[in-house]
Amino acid sequence: MKRIVLFLFMCLGLVPAFAQSAESIPAASSAWDDPLLPFYIVIGFTFVVVILVLLVALYLLQVLNYMVRQATRERAERLGIPYKEEPSFWARLWKESNDFVPLEKEADILMDHSYDGIRELDNHLPPWWKWLFYATIVFSGVYMIFYHLTDTLPLPLKEYETELVIAEEQAKKLEASSPVAAIDETTVQLVTDATALADGKTTFLNNCASCHRKDGGGDIGPNLTDEYWKHGGSLRDIFRIIRHGVQGTNMISWEGFISPEKMQNVTSYVLTLQGSNPENAKKPEGELYKPDTHAPADSTKVQASL
Amino acid sequence: MQLEKIHYDNKIVKAFIIATVIFGIVGMTVGLLAAIQLFYPIFNFSDSSLGQFVSFGRIRPLHTNAVIFAFVGNAMFAGVYYSMQRLLKTRLFSDALSWTHFWGWQLIILAAAITLPLGMTSAKEYAELEWPIDIAIALIWVVFGINMIGTIIKRREQHMYVAIWFYIATFVTVAVLHIVNSFEMPVTLFKSYSWYAGVQDALVQWWYGHNAVAFFLTTPFLGIMYYFLPKAANRPVYSYRLSIIHFWSLIFIYIWAGPHHLLYTALPDWAQSLGVVFSVMLIAPSWGGMLNGLFTLRGAWDRVREDAVLKFMVVAVTAYGMATLEGPLLSLKNVNAIAHYTDWIVAHVHVGGLGWNGFLIFGMLYWLVPRMWNTKLYSSKLANLHFWIGTLGIVFYALPMYVSGVVQSLMWKEFAADGFLRYQNFLETTTQILPMHMLRATGGALYLAGVFIMAYNLIKTAYAGSFIANEEAEVSPLVKIKHAPGGYWHHILEAKPVIFTVLALVAILIGGIIELVPTFLVKSNVPTIASVKPYTPLELHGRDIYIREGCVNCHSQMIRPFRSEVQRYDPKGGEYSKAGEYVYDHPFLWGSKRTGPDLHRLGGKYADSWHFRHMLTPAEVSTGSIMPAYPWLYEQQIDKGLTAGKISALRTIGVPYAEGYEKTANNDLDAQANRIVTGLELEGYETAPDAEIVALIAYLQRLGTDIKLDEVATRNE
Repeated sequence: MKRIVLFLFMCLGLVPAFAQSAESIPAASSAWDDPLLPFYIVIGFTFVVVILVLLVALYLLQVLNYMVRQATRERAERLGIPYKEEPSFWARLWKESNDFVPLEKEADILMDHSYDGIRELDNHLPPWWKWLFYATIVFSGVYMIFYHLTDTLPLPLKEYETELVIAEEQAKKLEASSPVAAIDETTVQLVTDATALADGKTTFLNNCASCHRKDGGGDIGPNLTDEYWKHGGSLRDIFRIIRHGVQGTNMISWEGFISPEKMQNVTSYVLTLQGSNPENAKKPEGELYKPDTHAPADSTKVQASL
Repeated sequence: MQLEKIHYDNKIVKAFIIATVIFGIVGMTVGLLAAIQLFYPIFNFSDSSLGQFVSFGRIRPLHTNAVIFAFVGNAMFAGVYYSMQRLLKTRLFSDALSWTHFWGWQLIILAAAITLPLGMTSAKEYAELEWPIDIAIALIWVVFGINMIGTIIKRREQHMYVAIWFYIATFVTVAVLHIVNSFEMPVTLFKSYSWYAGVQDALVQWWYGHNAVAFFLTTPFLGIMYYFLPKAANRPVYSYRLSIIHFWSLIFIYIWAGPHHLLYTALPDWAQSLGVVFSVMLIAPSWGGMLNGLFTLRGAWDRVREDAVLKFMVVAVTAYGMATLEGPLLSLKNVNAIAHYTDWIVAHVHVGGLGWNGFLIFGMLYWLVPRMWNTKLYSSKLANLHFWIGTLGIVFYALPMYVSGVVQSLMWKEFAADGFLRYQNFLETTTQILPMHMLRATGGALYLAGVFIMAYNLIKTAYAGSFIANEEAEVSPLVKIKHAPGGYWHHILEAKPVIFTVLALVAILIGGIIELVPTFLVKSNVPTIASVKPYTPLELHGRDIYIREGCVNCHSQMIRPFRSEVQRYDPKGGEYSKAGEYVYDHPFLWGSKRTGPDLHRLGGKYADSWHFRHMLTPAEVSTGSIMPAYPWLYEQQIDKGLTAGKISALRTIGVPYAEGYEKTANNDLDAQANRIVTGLELEGYETAPDAEIVALIAYLQRLGTDIKLDEVATRNE
């Protein structure tokens, strides 16, 4: 059970970790390249050491306790007094924090009525329970004051505004530091390296396949593997269609859903499907498009920046 | 003193016990089916002619209604009727009322079992039944109340034991909750619209929903615990004064906590915060019940090891304590931001349902049946087996759901370094947790297996004994003792059932009134949006199909003000859901669980043909989707004869359709349907204009779009 609880707490612990991944923009692709790595290692090490020290200390305390009890018993035997073991710290704590009337003295607090043989004792309210109740009432008062009288803490909409401000700052930083964040249909370029195309394929399967089929053969949307295009077949055209969608058709605008870089990757991936001739593909729609007759810029090959 | 000979009515208790066991098995089996449907969609049987009656959207309400009102409800009546006679030393007030109550309740269950699969639903959780059944419930509940109060009045015991206090609170509060939440405007015999709309409907519904948990699943069972646990343990109850404090604080505070189901929604902030703080203040009152149960076992713990009855009760009370601590924690808004709409909530309610209600009922049955049949339990070994298999079932149910809840929530919220959602496609987060759903079903199956073992054991026990229909008892007549000065003031109150009932009613009315009345009367609580207009007739039909199919069971229509949600559901418009958008939503359809994505900004996201294909074969359009198919929507037609009635009904409850519009509404309906059909034809899909799918598409395309018109309007100004 303990382990399960621990696991759940670890799951909860992940929350800030995930949030962080959204906030910070790691310059490196692997955790090993993180400049803060030594810091994490030291923190982790300290944590492990603290746990170990605590464990050893607890164990020593147990040993000490045992030896003291042993000594007391021996002395009692030597002096001929009957040995009575002291109740443990936990037993005392349990008893005191609940303020139990001892079982032997129960008769004193037995109420004089009986309902179908059920009797009632009149034990005190457990002090910790009483204090817990008071504490929650105080918490509630403070909560209402902080949120509604003094505006010290943010209510949902305020939280949201803050979130948006942070996101905007990040977006600006990202745009400044990374050119791929600002790709549009005028600057889009064909990418050919395997990582970028694999990323494009993932994006395709997750988002496009539901209308264009997993192999691009077309279904609700047109066939993407033939040379016929309804709204233009150049790299720039395809990027534009993905980004803005086509009014009045099923093709929605993906701007805001997919990052510009991913759009560039998926556009490039779509072009790799040309001529793949999947089975039962949809019949050609639109006009024939030959890539070589169009803008040469499209075929410039760049390193993917993924 | 002359002793009187009286007879306790065991026959009515027996009837309720039999109903408990039968509906326990039925309700949990249906639950297991629902659990399996969530990872093997084929079990929706969509393509068979039965499909539309057993798809998840209709099965899930059937499950919740069956386990809450049929299984737990019948057990409650069994426990209340058995204990009340003995605690008050009298036979029940009227045998005729007892049996009217029993058969009335079973007929209501039968009506639910027929109407829910037929799609007759109000769409309000745990209050799905349509208006004629609502009226029947109110009547039968009053019968139960008269029988209870009558029994209390003719008691031979001057004072009411704590169990009776809880029974009284149960009766008055459930009556108030049920009546207020069921205000609806009938259209036909089995179709009505909630009297309230949008935010107000949501508040009333969760004031009801939360307190159905409090006063149907909790207070009566605290009463049952107070009778059966000391009886089984043969120990005095731990603390009388704890009983008093925790009873009054529990019923007073519980009623306020409903809004914690609506954190981060369009509900006004002040109401949300009241929901938070009253949930936190509820920890101690709830734990008062747990402590009084567990501490009563002081000095009897050695017996817990041997006695299956006590074992069940100990786990039940512990589960109660865990669930009532977890509830307030889930009500903190930062925890709720993670847990709401996820499986975490499902885990939470099942710890309460399987652990607290289920195990307490099992403990009670194992104690009752041998006594009522004057014999010993057929097999304590089997009872112990039931205990362990049931406990294992709870663990296997709850743990995977906690994990899947947290995992899915984190996936929903995670942003990649490029500032976009890492899992933009909702489906990725669904498929990720399917293994957890399989484990959950395993847990449920184990628990259900335990119930079968119990049923066998109890039947064998009954056959071995002979049933005592009228248990004889010798009791002394009521002697009124003058209360000595200086005693507990509460002790005097316990001798005055009418005053007691009135005070309990006042205690539960305060919180409800303070939260509900301002939300209805103060305009600023629901800021209106000029561009939000009533639904068109076709959309109205579509919305009713959405309600009938139970879409709300898996899809929310409430985008919370989180960057991750706005980015997911409305990346371009950037609008979370606003209170003013729901003013014509009778009933509200915010939902409480996102098995699928939120749909509030679905309008205009896809073209009509996408919806047309998707509803027919969801798994083909979205590979790996677990959504059931809805082929019958393509064959069935909407009933245009109902349009006028729907429009008039909605106008009566405040939707501003022009006077006389109902006469011409079908022209608008036809025009809109024809536009959709023509559009579909261009894409190569043929359908009749009055096919249900056309209406549904019209509704889906309207969702969340009105607010965008407002922007256009403001920009043009």
